[in-house]
Amino acid sequence: MKRIAFLCLLITFTIGAAAQDGFDATFNLNGYGRASIFGGGSAYAVSSLFSELSLQPSVKTNNALLESDIRIRTGMFFNEKKTELQIRELYVGYKSRNFDVFLGNQIVSWGRTEGFSPTNNITPDDFFFLSSDPNDQKLSNFMLKVNYRPVIGIGLEVIAIPFYKMSSYRFDLFDMSGFDMSGLEQFGQFDTSNMIDFGNDMVPEKILANGSYAVRADFDFSAFGGSVSWFRGYDPYHGFNVVSVNWATGQPVVRISSMPYLKNSFGADLAAPLGNVVILRAEAAYNHTKNPNNNMYIPNPDISYVVGLETNLWGFMIIGQYIGKYTFNYSPLIQPVLPSGGSAAELLQYAEDMIDYENRMFNRKVFNQQEKTNHAAFLTVTRSFAYDVLSAECTAFYNFTSNEWFIRPKLSWRISDALMVAAGGNYMRGGEKTLYGYSSAILNGAYAELKIIF
Amino acid sequence: MKRTVFMSMTTLGLLFFSCGLFAQSAEQIRKKAADVVDLSSMTMDFTINIRDGKGSERVRQLTMITGRFNDVTKTLIRFTAPSDVKGTALLIFDYEEKEDDMWIYMPALKKVRRIISSEKGKSFMGSEFTNADMSKPNHADFHYELKGSETYEGRECWIVQAEGKDQAIKKANGYSRSVNYIDKETYLCYKTEYYDSSDNLHRVMIASDFKKITATSYFAYHTSMENVKNGRISEMVVNNLETGKKYREDLFSPNALQ
Repeated sequence: MKRIAFLCLLITFTIGAAAQDGFDATFNLNGYGRASIFGGGSAYAVSSLFSELSLQPSVKTNNALLESDIRIRTGMFFNEKKTELQIRELYVGYKSRNFDVFLGNQIVSWGRTEGFSPTNNITPDDFFFLSSDPNDQKLSNFMLKVNYRPVIGIGLEVIAIPFYKMSSYRFDLFDMSGFDMSGLEQFGQFDTSNMIDFGNDMVPEKILANGSYAVRADFDFSAFGGSVSWFRGYDPYHGFNVVSVNWATGQPVVRISSMPYLKNSFGADLAAPLGNVVILRAEAAYNHTKNPNNNMYIPNPDISYVVGLETNLWGFMIIGQYIGKYTFNYSPLIQPVLPSGGSAAELLQYAEDMIDYENRMFNRKVFNQQEKTNHAAFLTVTRSFAYDVLSAECTAFYNFTSNEWFIRPKLSWRISDALMVAAGGNYMRGGEKTLYGYSSAILNGAYAELKIIF
Repeated sequence: MKRTVFMSMTTLGLLFFSCGLFAQSAEQIRKKAADVVDLSSMTMDFTINIRDGKGSERVRQLTMITGRFNDVTKTLIRFTAPSDVKGTALLIFDYEEKEDDMWIYMPALKKVRRIISSEKGKSFMGSEFTNADMSKPNHADFHYELKGSETYEGRECWIVQAEGKDQAIKKANGYSRSVNYIDKETYLCYKTEYYDSSDNLHRVMIASDFKKITATSYFAYHTSMENVKNGRISEMVVNNLETGKKYREDLFSPNALQ
């Protein structure tokens, strides 16, 4: 923490010195301060309560630049008091007519669809950072990014990320007592209410071979725009593995850890106007993995695809999308059967089989591979009022395969150029032992935020 | 912010306000202005001050560059203030005979998005100007009528009415007709009144501080638009204008927006 603070000070002084020493540099300092509260869920009366200062110093010379977004935050997060410094972005770069190179902590978003982008494998998310802006959940990676534009309308992007960073699911906050060990309790042998223990994240060894590498060729023409891309690396949207099962107390304690997996992803996207009222957006990616059957934290190879339409109707901006996934080599998981009148060894085997089954099933939910084909729909409607002073939006999602859904309304009031208020809510619902079922106790609720921009 | 997406040639339109919509000579004047001043290749920094009837003010600052390549006018607008929209960039390809192509880059999203180019009658950046006001008017869309002469601010002016040819055109532009006060000597338009679909006066535009760009043409460095219904006034002030500079076409590439 102190080292990071020192680094920030050093950078700030360096920027100041550069600006003063005749480098013909332009120094800018923007940012915001905000106070935010999120609460009303069943697990936490107040899930998140914090104040935050974002400083966004930047320096530009003729071709060189430095961009940053440094956030200092203090508050309560799921009943835990924290004061933290987040280097959300901090990178330096060189920009020229055909060639750019950037090095440092950056956020990259790939894909032409909204919310669910199969080609977007670069940037991890912290899904449990609760604020009025979903973009706040994006976490930067340290990376080298190179852009090359050989001709007008065509660009090539190459990214190298030496060290893996995973998304944050915070499943440790979930009530996982619903693991189905039914049948065993009747023998009075197992208590399943506290059997899940989340261990440390299992990140790959920090060697370059475990880095992530990605290339994208992007093109934009009058009739349409699109890209083709390739990603090789550990997926930020990781799985879970059973690290150990401890029987020392006579009760099974299953230790689960976040476990990333290696994949190759080949993707493409497209955006094409249909007349001047509708834009067609589409995106797909084939994700290739190895040994999914041997390791529960590795998903089967699959194809993820999204097709959507965007239009403006009576002042409303409407985006509707179909989201699908086809899983290769899919076979349903067979739930173990409790042996009737089984021996202790058989019961133990059954318990271990159930632990494996439940965790494999849980990973399939995380990977959205619950069926061979999985279907969902996404709709977002946005409208601004009173000369953009007020803005209302509502996003809804329904997963037809798992019958999970959410709805997220939001209102923003721009009181002045510098002052903004936002309020909204999140309501998600799913059946027993679904991800939304687990999450709803934590993520359902309403929020309010006051923000000063400078 | 999202409303900005529908605009095309930003304050380039200001010059064309000055040409108004003439029945006989408008085409000649516009051609003359276009020939003399190469506004298809320019850089402009400008500010929009938006004041509501209660006295509160909002400020928008933008930088725009334009270039013309193979009969396509390409415009790149970068928002420089307020800070929450700073860095946002809008790229427009304005074609003579088809709908515009538009892309937007928003720093928060970290990606360039293709957007649609409808609803020209909507407010531009929350101001009293509409996206249609920012565009070069399509003269073929209007019927013109000379309503007489009048002295305005000491200048002898023609009063030319321009009325949309059909309801779709009126709706798209956000007004049914406009009445333009055009200086008989310079052909500059100093005042325009816009009437809504019920033919009630809706907005009044005043152009002033015309500066000579070349020996024979001018540019309005100050333009105000008053909404007479709610008392809101928006002012567009040109802070810096450079013309005649030729830009590289790759500056106007969607994948160079970021």
